[in-house]
Amino acid sequence: MRFRTAVFCALILGFVLAAPLLAHHSFAAEYDSTKVVKLTGNVTRVDWQNPHAYFYIDVKNAETGRVENWAFEMGAPSVIARQGWTKTTLKIGDVIIVEGTRAKDGGFHGNARSVYMADTGKKLGAGSSEATTP
Amino acid sequence: MRSRFAILVLFSLLPVFSFGQQRSDAPAAQAGQRGRGARGPAQRPPSAPTPRYPDGHPMLSAPPGKLGYWDAGTGSIFGKNGNNLPTNLDISEVPFMAWSRALYEVRRAEQSKSDPHARCLPPGGPRQFHTPYGLLIYEIPEAKRVLILSGGGPHIWRIVYTDGRPHPPADQLDPGFLGHSVGHWEGDTLVIDTVGFNEKFWMTRFGLPHTEALHLIERISRPDYNTLKYEVTIDDPKTYTRPWSGGHIINWHPDEDFPEYFCQDNNRDAEHLVGQ
Repeated sequence: MRFRTAVFCALILGFVLAAPLLAHHSFAAEYDSTKVVKLTGNVTRVDWQNPHAYFYIDVKNAETGRVENWAFEMGAPSVIARQGWTKTTLKIGDVIIVEGTRAKDGGFHGNARSVYMADTGKKLGAGSSEATTP
Repeated sequence: MRSRFAILVLFSLLPVFSFGQQRSDAPAAQAGQRGRGARGPAQRPPSAPTPRYPDGHPMLSAPPGKLGYWDAGTGSIFGKNGNNLPTNLDISEVPFMAWSRALYEVRRAEQSKSDPHARCLPPGGPRQFHTPYGLLIYEIPEAKRVLILSGGGPHIWRIVYTDGRPHPPADQLDPGFLGHSVGHWEGDTLVIDTVGFNEKFWMTRFGLPHTEALHLIERISRPDYNTLKYEVTIDDPKTYTRPWSGGHIINWHPDEDFPEYFCQDNNRDAEHLVGQ
């Protein structure tokens, strides 16, 4: 049983990490890989659209106490679907933890690398379009 | 049992190593050398033979009863790595004029922030062959046309006339993103001659400049079922000091058609492209 579980996990890992992530724009022109963010918030909107799937979360700023609505970009729907995402994976009101890269323009905008369900810690896959070709 | 486990895990992780290689290629990619692997053409599995029409000339897309598309997205017409042709020029060997070299270097320094394709404008010329999300080339013999369909970007199609017509006279040719293309077969190679380009697009991913004087000769062949070979000669006497050539291969993605993809649907990137 442990053997089968290990093989299964390895296969899934290989599949997820090897999936092609291609964008229509330069990642470096939009995001700064050194500006890593990790935010917790509740989902307010999901755009399951090309060229990139987006989700939006309300995040309470610990310093100001204000709620900021962040937008996070992922890969194209057809690409992240190969990683297990569907248009209903995230639901309005879900509380999630997002690890990603902030936009260079300093807005509440980022590129999601990893998304986790806050209550269970379940990882929903990597949706980043980093290291892609425009 | 233990050795079987080790073999299976190693096999399953091979794509991971491949992915890691792509990520580490990022600097090479910025120099126009992105591909599958950094040190030469990737090892490729054995392929079925080239599919052919009854008269013997190659089919450039899925034969009847089959699905699939060309998995464009990597490849460059300069640089020798990955899927690029070993005969390609290095970027330092591309015969730029002073102004075009300067413009190219600005575009690289700005990290492609001004790329029209990021605003969902059509990928003309060679860029149609390295735009992600699929490529199909269908010949319609009874219409004497070849259609080149792009799944990515703004989901464009390009018509290549194979009925022997010439290009329109220059004074009747309205410059466009895709130009006016005429083609013919030379053995197993489709040769396409295109003129009539505008200057509103970057003809390659990394921003090689061109002018309305651009004249392309593209040579497309399918040496086996899984391989498309794309070669192009760039003839733009206002941008380059002499004609030059390059190309790359594109791999077949079997068993499905390309997904619907319209860059224009919800493009939110343009406002955030700030470069350095």
